[in-house]
Amino acid sequence: MADEVKLPRLGQGMESGTIVKWLKSEGDQVEKGEPLYELDTDKVTQEVEAEVAGVLLKITVSQGEADVGTTIAVIGEQGEDVNVEDGNGEDGNVEDASVETALEVADDEQEEGSPGPAREAERERGREASASEQITEIRTPAQGNGAGARVKASPLARRIARDRGIELGSLRGTGPEGRVVAEDVERAAAGGPTPAPGAAPAPPGDIERIPLTSVRRTIARRLTEAWQAPAFQIAMSADMTRAQALHDRLAERVKEGEAKPTVTDILTKACAAALMRHRAVNAHWAEDAIELHPNANVGIAVAIDAGLVVPVIHQAERKTIAELAAARADIVTRAREGKLRQEDLDGGTFTISNLGMFGVEQFVAVLNPPQAAILAVGAIERKAVPTDGGGFEARPLMTMTLTCDHRTLDGATAADFLRTVKAFLEEPGLML
Amino acid sequence: MPELSYREAVRDALSQAMRKDEDVFIMGEDIAEMGGSMGVTQGMLDEFGPDRVRNTPISEIAIVGTGIGAAMQGMRPVVEVMYEDFLTVSMEQIVNQAAKHRYMSGGQLKVPLTVRTQGGAGWSPGAQHAQQVEAWFVHVPGLKVVFASTPTDARGLLWSAIYDDNPVIFFEHRTLYGLKEEMSDELEPIPLGQARVHRQGEDVTVVATGRLVHEALAAAEEAEKEGVSVEVIDPRTLQPLDEDAIVGSVKKTNRCVVAHEAVTRMGFGAEIAAVVQHQAFDWLDAPVERVGAKFAPLPFAPVMEEYVVPHAKDVLAAIQRTVQRDG
Amino acid sequence: MAKVEQRRGVSEETLREFFREMLLIRRFEEKVEERFRAGELPGFLHVAIGQEAVAVGVCRALADGDVIASTHRAHGHTLAKGTHPNELMAELYGKLEGCSHGYGGSMHLYDVERGNLGANAVVGGGLPAIVGAALAFKFRGEPRVAVAFFGDGATNIGTFHESLNLAQLWQVPAVFVLEDNHWAESTPETQHSPIRDLSKRAEAFGMKAMKVDGQDVEEVHKVASRAVKHARDGKGPVFVHVETQRLVGHYIGDPQVYRDKEELAKLQQTADPIELLRDKLALSDTEFEAVDREVQELVDASVEFAKNGTDPKPEDALKNIYA
Repeated sequence: MADEVKLPRLGQGMESGTIVKWLKSEGDQVEKGEPLYELDTDKVTQEVEAEVAGVLLKITVSQGEADVGTTIAVIGEQGEDVNVEDGNGEDGNVEDASVETALEVADDEQEEGSPGPAREAERERGREASASEQITEIRTPAQGNGAGARVKASPLARRIARDRGIELGSLRGTGPEGRVVAEDVERAAAGGPTPAPGAAPAPPGDIERIPLTSVRRTIARRLTEAWQAPAFQIAMSADMTRAQALHDRLAERVKEGEAKPTVTDILTKACAAALMRHRAVNAHWAEDAIELHPNANVGIAVAIDAGLVVPVIHQAERKTIAELAAARADIVTRAREGKLRQEDLDGGTFTISNLGMFGVEQFVAVLNPPQAAILAVGAIERKAVPTDGGGFEARPLMTMTLTCDHRTLDGATAADFLRTVKAFLEEPGLML
Repeated sequence: MPELSYREAVRDALSQAMRKDEDVFIMGEDIAEMGGSMGVTQGMLDEFGPDRVRNTPISEIAIVGTGIGAAMQGMRPVVEVMYEDFLTVSMEQIVNQAAKHRYMSGGQLKVPLTVRTQGGAGWSPGAQHAQQVEAWFVHVPGLKVVFASTPTDARGLLWSAIYDDNPVIFFEHRTLYGLKEEMSDELEPIPLGQARVHRQGEDVTVVATGRLVHEALAAAEEAEKEGVSVEVIDPRTLQPLDEDAIVGSVKKTNRCVVAHEAVTRMGFGAEIAAVVQHQAFDWLDAPVERVGAKFAPLPFAPVMEEYVVPHAKDVLAAIQRTVQRDG
Repeated sequence: MAKVEQRRGVSEETLREFFREMLLIRRFEEKVEERFRAGELPGFLHVAIGQEAVAVGVCRALADGDVIASTHRAHGHTLAKGTHPNELMAELYGKLEGCSHGYGGSMHLYDVERGNLGANAVVGGGLPAIVGAALAFKFRGEPRVAVAFFGDGATNIGTFHESLNLAQLWQVPAVFVLEDNHWAESTPETQHSPIRDLSKRAEAFGMKAMKVDGQDVEEVHKVASRAVKHARDGKGPVFVHVETQRLVGHYIGDPQVYRDKEELAKLQQTADPIELLRDKLALSDTEFEAVDREVQELVDASVEFAKNGTDPKPEDALKNIYA
């Protein structure tokens, strides 16, 4: 079988060479080791020897530049068939693909050694493995530090808080492990409490411009859209005594490793059940129609570093509270870790937003288009409620505010739905 | 309970190892009849003979390299490089050979070599005889580095270094050789990689090595009078470093000072500061302070030498900086 | 009986074995050149073409338990000391099956079981450890010898002088084999040494020195055997000055712009140790081809073996740092 003579890589970084002249002609007998042609490689012109003995059957590149790995001639036995194109042949001299080196190495001298271009894929693997490591070689700060009451805040955050007279402890940290970072303080300063009286005025400083991340942009766009829908809100309070009791009982029975059910999970269950009774609320505005959806895919609004995200628990009406708790814990964790998939965000039919844990009593949520409604829930507070006997007693009340798209729903339908949710919360047995 | 000086403690560890173990031998310049330029090996020639207590020519390359070769054959040589400044002469053998044989052979070889050396300023030895060069060696994967600051530590750690299967650079400090301490009768090996808390405290952690451990303790006494409670930790082994102990202490006190006699800039203390900053970021109430020599070769004239090299006062000033308030 | 044999030289059977081994090294090195040019072998590669007789002649004079340390041009020594071509080729390919398990490569070939304490990328880097190994043998009263290979370039570096001095001072059973090919990379000996006879350097330390023509494997073997025996008998270290020729460049791809092409061509004609032995044994073409086929097959198989070998995992890089 004929041997192809390929332009060799004679040094690191050598990509091509120039054939100056052939020392043997087509038809000549060639010995192994005999000089075959002269090659110019930028700094030096040298003779290149034949690697096999035989007859020089064909010269495919007689003169001029050729890439490393190009077939430039064929040596074989007299009379053999030669199937090689003239001019630059295939790339690469071996079975493995010859690959580009990442760096442009221009004008290299003959250098000792080589990175082994055929091994580039292997090198890439090594680089990838190093870059993708979760645990770096330098230990990351220990998790679960037992900081106790200590507020974790970056030095910069502390400085800003100090300057603006903001109480660090009142802030929710969005940094790693709940660390308060500068942005959290800025956010609080922008819309938050005024500085304590007597605090020094903030020293003049530069206006800090925080460029929008793509998440922020998306949130802004969608909420602006939502704002254009004609919306109305209705509010009701639910007595959470029975719901809390149910929660406590369920929490007691939780096994090691299982997600602990929260009041939100009970609320999700109540809404899902109510959505099945009031199908008109489990709907999408579709411009020229109203879509009634078969399943209650309930989205839970989750605050993350980058902003707000609403992962969905699909078919919530079919799940038990324990299953809802597990699903909720999973998507919230993944949301915080930035590991949500598209399917987690798609298909929602209803959204619950709970700011109760921040002490908010009542608020109005913005619609999550094209959904018909969104439920905003505040903190459970003990309030005085008149009793039959003429006195008062303290009951745990939670305010719920339903924002509705008036194109899809009207007040009566919305009120019916919310009354059902309230009923389910006040008497969970009704959900069965 | 015998009272031993630091140098006697080193000698004790060497001697006990050599009595127990045919494979242990020592070599270096002037260690035989003279007993070493610092008197550490005095008397050992008489006990063990010239085969196992070998004077060498002035050949740091061969001293270390021969040690490497014997170690590769399973012996446990303890070679001495008279001044740590001269480790530079044998750097190639330490860094390119000793540290890397195991790795380059894919695990076929071990190099259980111990290189003992000493250094330190204080009596105008001049720029070429007083350096503290541990930072160069902790930076080489494959080496272990130990720096004992007390007689008990020296004895226990040298034993562990000899019986560690990796090349260990064992730093001693010249001004500590005379330091005396009561020791247990039995030699108690101290594991490598374990720090020692010399003094407990609540307000600031001082991580110190070598001579500066004692300077730090003196500074701590002073600070106490000012109402500042100082914890003093000696890592003892520099590579591998007891990060947990150091970080744990800083999480308790919220303030850290790193002190060594070596030049501050790019010194070993920079690594400790980086580790502390990274792992105790949320616990730091003040920046990590570093105390070390100024960035200059060591001058000869005593007034200049004392200026360049750090002392208790410098450690105290650093402590004070960590707790200071503006108003 | 032994003395008579020695005078008559090495037996023909043994010489044929030497021939096969030298040819194996030659074909192996040629294959390495080929695979390097194909881009498959990363790193630095220095082949020992022209110096096969030194590797074979010396290593075959050693006994089990004797150890060697080599240079950056280590393939010949490694094969001659008993490492299988498969393991050597696998190491050049960076596979776990390589003799250094992929951690070392061409310049850090180790085969401790077979007494190979490592090739060394630092010129003269392995000499002090050979002194140490020999010292350990002496300490333990073992009849073992430690052998260091190095080139003429290394006779200028500090390790050379400190090692020879200490070895002679302490009379350790070491043999220092100078493979004098008269080139330190691109610098001819006349430009790196003020003296012409490098064995004088050993004599300066009071060390016994022997000289031999490195292209005659039989002579090399005889002299090496004498040197090793001298050391083994406790008579002290020996310096063996081997005159040899590097018939290729310093590294693969070295165009040797610094070398007289005609002179090199002449050397390739007249000083090839394999050709010389072939003549001495009066091997016929058929005999030659038979041996050639056999060793070529071994070499080809070693490439297959290497290519099918196991890549280390990236994180294996963090193993074997500490014992």
